[in-house]
Amino acid sequence: MSLLEVNNLTIAFGDKKVVDSISFTLEKGSRIGLIGESGSGKSMTSLAIMGLLPDTATVSGSITFEGQELIGLSDREHSHLRGNRMGMVFQEPLTALNPLMRIGKQIAGPLMIHKGASLKDALGSALELCTKVGLPDPDRVLRAYPHQLSGGQRQRIGLAIALACEPALLIADEPTTALDVTVQREVLNLINTLVDQEGSSLVFVTHDLPVVSIMTENIAVMQLGQIVENATVASLFQAPKHEYSQRLINAARVAEDAFSGTGGIK
Amino acid sequence: MKKAMKGNISLITGSVMVAITFSLLILSFIWTPHDPLEVTPDDSFAGISSKHFLGADKLGRDILSQIIVGSRVTLLVAALAVTIAMTLGVSAGITIAVASRKLQAPMVYAVNIALAFPAALLAIILAAVYGASTLTAVSAIGLATAAAVAQVTRRTAYGILASDYVLAAHACGASTWRIIRKHVMPNLRASLLIQASAVVSVSVLAESSLSYLGLGTPPPAPSWGRMLAGSQQYIFVNPLLAIWPGIAIVIVVLGFNLVGDGVREVFDPTLRRSDS
Ligand SMILES: Nc1ncnc2c1ncn2[C@@H]1O[C@H](COP(=O)(O)OP(=O)(O)OP(=O)(O)O)[C@@H](O)[C@H]1O
Ligand SMILES: [Mg+2]
Repeated sequence: MSLLEVNNLTIAFGDKKVVDSISFTLEKGSRIGLIGESGSGKSMTSLAIMGLLPDTATVSGSITFEGQELIGLSDREHSHLRGNRMGMVFQEPLTALNPLMRIGKQIAGPLMIHKGASLKDALGSALELCTKVGLPDPDRVLRAYPHQLSGGQRQRIGLAIALACEPALLIADEPTTALDVTVQREVLNLINTLVDQEGSSLVFVTHDLPVVSIMTENIAVMQLGQIVENATVASLFQAPKHEYSQRLINAARVAEDAFSGTGGIK
Repeated sequence: MKKAMKGNISLITGSVMVAITFSLLILSFIWTPHDPLEVTPDDSFAGISSKHFLGADKLGRDILSQIIVGSRVTLLVAALAVTIAMTLGVSAGITIAVASRKLQAPMVYAVNIALAFPAALLAIILAAVYGASTLTAVSAIGLATAAAVAQVTRRTAYGILASDYVLAAHACGASTWRIIRKHVMPNLRASLLIQASAVVSVSVLAESSLSYLGLGTPPPAPSWGRMLAGSQQYIFVNPLLAIWPGIAIVIVVLGFNLVGDGVREVFDPTLRRSDS
């Protein structure tokens, strides 16, 4: 049994299909990259798995997770999985943290909700989690408010929250887009290490081919709500089957040249 | 608290003003220079003197004593109106904000109707049924402002519920109730404080007007609102009569507003000067 099976998933707002009959499977401990331009339906797919679609959306098809059908699951039942069996890291690490709650309590949240931990025990675990995500001076971090941390530190906190209950599945929706390039690399490496350590599966969402190639071999290219190509990073670079994939590669080449200073943009 | 006060001018000034009002309240139960209701025709419109520190009104009643005792009505009005308006308004506002979309429309409609309903009409109805009293005036004021509080609370709560950190909290498996307690309420607090201090101002002033219309505190019990209203016809003969209750009302209204503003700064970690 696969960990996650998405079958003919369709998400619509009114008549407008934003995700159009997509299918993919994810084995235990394996990874998939969802890549596509802005508005192609990557976030909607992630939110559908988490059961967090806006209530104006209509969903059809099937998502099975650990053998359980998620479409049609009550919000209450789904909430037992969220933050527990499946965790999510968001794009904007600042806005994804409550500005008025100390970091310690925010990391402690999922442990108190799902493991029935007391605040004291949960804060103890939060301290360990801080160390695990590579935050120096965890005592100070736990007492801090989000605005007192840097972007990279905040995203490490986001990761600590998502991984607090050791989920089987981690969904990262453009987790490094809001960070600057050097920090981006550090956070990507951290996600790599932790996902390996925990043996979790990973759905990694991005619009950036070089980024996804750091994280996973298997990618699904999305365009206008459909998966237009399933491939490995290597095969995609060698022989993109879809015209849109070719465009992504070109974009990546330009970016790479620009970064390495060889002057891709003439 | 000491640390919070430091450099927070709003909070310090406001606290002093509120403290003055509460001192008057306590004093009213212990001592007044004269019996505030004692009529002494010889002292009619007496000026400032060692007998009447703030003068006397037409019937020769001591103004200072009336101001001291009048604080009871004012603070009772403020406390009750805030309790009614905030309890009803906040629970209604949050309930509507988290309700399913089907239920939201009729509830918003009901709040809008309540908003359009004039407080004075409500006060007249209550006074007709129960007889005019401080309590009927306060109930009318509380109910009327509750609708406004519900409206603002609902809108602010919408914004909070649509935020990334609430989505992130859902992604952690938090229940609606937990999200209300841990995320909506704390982030609503600043807005609620401002609303509460606005309700204090509105209710103190509204009670004055309603008393003037005979829909509030009945005579002879002194109330700042009625003192102010009663002084109106003598404003040119004896302006002091209007000034004293006027000052008292300004102190309590401004005091609560400044405290509301100052406390907001204390609660918001991003506005705090020093931390942890
Ligand atoms: N609440 C909503 N109501 C209607 N349409 C929506 C809503 N939310 C998203 N959409 C539409 O759904 C489509 C897919 O959005 P989605 O957020 O999944 O894109 P994305 O691939 O994650 O893009 P990005 O890279 O910009 O994050 C978009 O065209 C968007 O306009
Ligand atoms: Mg997105």
